[in-house]
Amino acid sequence: MTVTSFILKNALRNGRRAFLTVWSVAVSSALLVTLMTLERELTVPPEAAGASLRIIARNKVSLTQPLPAKQLGTIQAIPGIVTVTPFTYFGGLYGDEEFTSYPQFAVDPVGFEGMLVESKVSEGSFADWMKDRNTCLVGRDTMDRYGLKVGDPMKFRGTIYPCDLDLRVAAVFEGTVDDRGVFFHHKLLDELLGDPGTVGTWYLRAESAEVADDVIQRLNAAFANTAAEVRAESERAFQMGFVSMWGNVSQLIGSVNLVVVFTLALVTVSTMSMAVRERFRELAVLKALGFHRGELFGFILAEGFGLSCLGGLLGVVGAWAFWTGIDVGKLSGGVLVIFEVTLRNMALAGLVASVLGVVAAIGPAWTVNRMSVVEGLKTLD
Amino acid sequence: METQGEWKAWLMLVTAVLVSCGVVWGLARAVGLPIQYNLRNVVVRWRSSIATVLGIGAVVAVFVVLRAVARGIEANSGNTGDPVNVLIVRKGSQAESGSLVSRDQFQTLRFFEEIQRNEQGEPMASAEVMLVVNAPRRDGTGEANTLLRGVTPRGVDLRSQVRLTGGRWFEPGKREVVTAQRLAQRFDGFEIGGTIKAGPTQLRVVGQMEAGGSAFDSEVWMDADEARAIFDRDQYSSILVRPRDEESMAVLIGRVDADPRLSLRAERETEYYAKQTMTAKPIKVVAGLLGVAMSVGAVFAAMNTMYASVASRTREVGTLRVLGYSRTAVVICFLIEGACLSTLGGILGCAVARSTDGFSTGTLDFQSFAESVFQFRVTPDLMGMGLLFAVGIGVIGSLLPAIRAARIPVIAALKSI
Repeated sequence: MTVTSFILKNALRNGRRAFLTVWSVAVSSALLVTLMTLERELTVPPEAAGASLRIIARNKVSLTQPLPAKQLGTIQAIPGIVTVTPFTYFGGLYGDEEFTSYPQFAVDPVGFEGMLVESKVSEGSFADWMKDRNTCLVGRDTMDRYGLKVGDPMKFRGTIYPCDLDLRVAAVFEGTVDDRGVFFHHKLLDELLGDPGTVGTWYLRAESAEVADDVIQRLNAAFANTAAEVRAESERAFQMGFVSMWGNVSQLIGSVNLVVVFTLALVTVSTMSMAVRERFRELAVLKALGFHRGELFGFILAEGFGLSCLGGLLGVVGAWAFWTGIDVGKLSGGVLVIFEVTLRNMALAGLVASVLGVVAAIGPAWTVNRMSVVEGLKTLD
Repeated sequence: METQGEWKAWLMLVTAVLVSCGVVWGLARAVGLPIQYNLRNVVVRWRSSIATVLGIGAVVAVFVVLRAVARGIEANSGNTGDPVNVLIVRKGSQAESGSLVSRDQFQTLRFFEEIQRNEQGEPMASAEVMLVVNAPRRDGTGEANTLLRGVTPRGVDLRSQVRLTGGRWFEPGKREVVTAQRLAQRFDGFEIGGTIKAGPTQLRVVGQMEAGGSAFDSEVWMDADEARAIFDRDQYSSILVRPRDEESMAVLIGRVDADPRLSLRAERETEYYAKQTMTAKPIKVVAGLLGVAMSVGAVFAAMNTMYASVASRTREVGTLRVLGYSRTAVVICFLIEGACLSTLGGILGCAVARSTDGFSTGTLDFQSFAESVFQFRVTPDLMGMGLLFAVGIGVIGSLLPAIRAARIPVIAALKSI
């Protein structure tokens, strides 16, 4: 019998316990991965290509406060800007839904060209959409969600604006970070609202990353001390500001994580001490046969480490397979979008499980270390 | 916020726990189970007992705390409003801040005869405007949206929940505001004497209010028409009125809903707010999922402990059988032992969760798109749920080990060392 097979035999001699230990570690690790992914989802927005070039300017008062449409002329005069479009969140409800999870934005198609999606249009064409103000440009995920095709109608009831949209799908885009959005003509919104002369935000693109900061500063300065002061920031900074509104929710998740790790530790520690206590006599026999303390320690360590590693592996891979396999967006009613289980989080959870396996072996190993052979041989059970 | 009702609930919880313990004990004694033997075991094997108790305690604590968060958010909306008031918003809007009511509509509505009048003969109706203002957090974690409500003097009268705790009410035209005390704890410049910057406008805080744990505890109030002027809003957001009595309330609601020119929706104020619970839903779902996942882990852990406990007591179980205890008795005994262990864990978890009660924090409210301040609410019924949850884990976790104990052949059991 080799050392490896000895350890393996020992670990599996009580099959039920090995099974229960492995699975409780697996469930806890899966939970840990899930919670870390949730925290990431809430605090780290997905980064889109070219985000460093794109700038969002909103009213300094808050995002919900509109900006005057006449600011456009001043903005266009700022050097370093390639293109600019009004960007107004419509917040409508699709059909008779009570909660629609994707945004609809009113944009100026001319200014919108070169911002986000024009190169990703897979069906219909960007030009078709530009031509007809009653049409919309829709993300692939949303098309699939309702089984829509190009040319189909799309209706939204306004919750923020006192008007409804009656659109037709002109083109579909896919392959962006978030393939859910619906874009329509700002002119249509203006028409429906009786031309209020306002926009939600301005969305613009700088010539290069070097001038982006400069553009932001000029934008902020251009409207300082006017009735509608502007707060311009990079798309990334804007998103980070958005997620910081979640408040203390991420802290809450962090503390739940700690509790999960704590229970994980309890499970492995108590299992290992049970396993060792059960075979105190055998370990004494091994000692009497001439095995060193270090070797005994190695046996226990390898067993604890092996079991919790196996559990961790099962849990982490299981969580990954689960969250990659199901449609998180649909399940959470659209609150969670990407829910990407990153390699980093998987590695972290696996690491926690395996470290706990080592930690759990230390206590029992210490006891075995100190016991005298005679004492050990005397133990009954 | 310990109301009379809450005391009763506490009393009921404690009574229920004591009575069920008593009943189990009494029944066990009556049918002659060696219950003391099992209870002493919990103490004798203290090492594995502590591990199980702590594990189950942690699971119960997480479950109860998450539910308490959802409760706190729900309590905000559930506590808000006065049942004698009617709130009127635009048809199709999902929140007050997304609603629009024109001045014409207000003028028409104001003089409906169903609306009560005060001593001066003015209708008890308040046209209000809801705005969102970005403000820096005190803890330095960036900025968040806060809700600014433009109210009229009638609006203040209509809300009996709100009372001034310091300073004075705002005077129209002077850029003065009153902040909710709870909000002021979280945002910079919201204290009396502080300044709130809203774009180019500076608003001075002259008073603080408290609103009995309602949604108004997350708001800043100022004069409605001044707010409309500063923030360039042509329209109001909502109208709050007080009908003469229940009968006229029904008439008024029907009349507003039926009028095609108005295109407005009227609802009892308390009912309107009670429905604004979208934010609590995902938290409840998460609490449920976490509860299930963690309890699976806890059941495995409890099973592990109980199996080990049974295995090392083979001879003792044999002895019990020789003394004449039936298999069923042995099963029930081990189940009770598991339930006791997990009840201890449950009590521990509930105690930990209870210590977070009243903890004040804030999160983004999906509907108003602004920060809503809420308190963790660990109520007796939640703790009762936590205890039941714990007992469930214990019983399920010890069922298989208990059956195993009962199946041990007597002779073999006695021979084993």
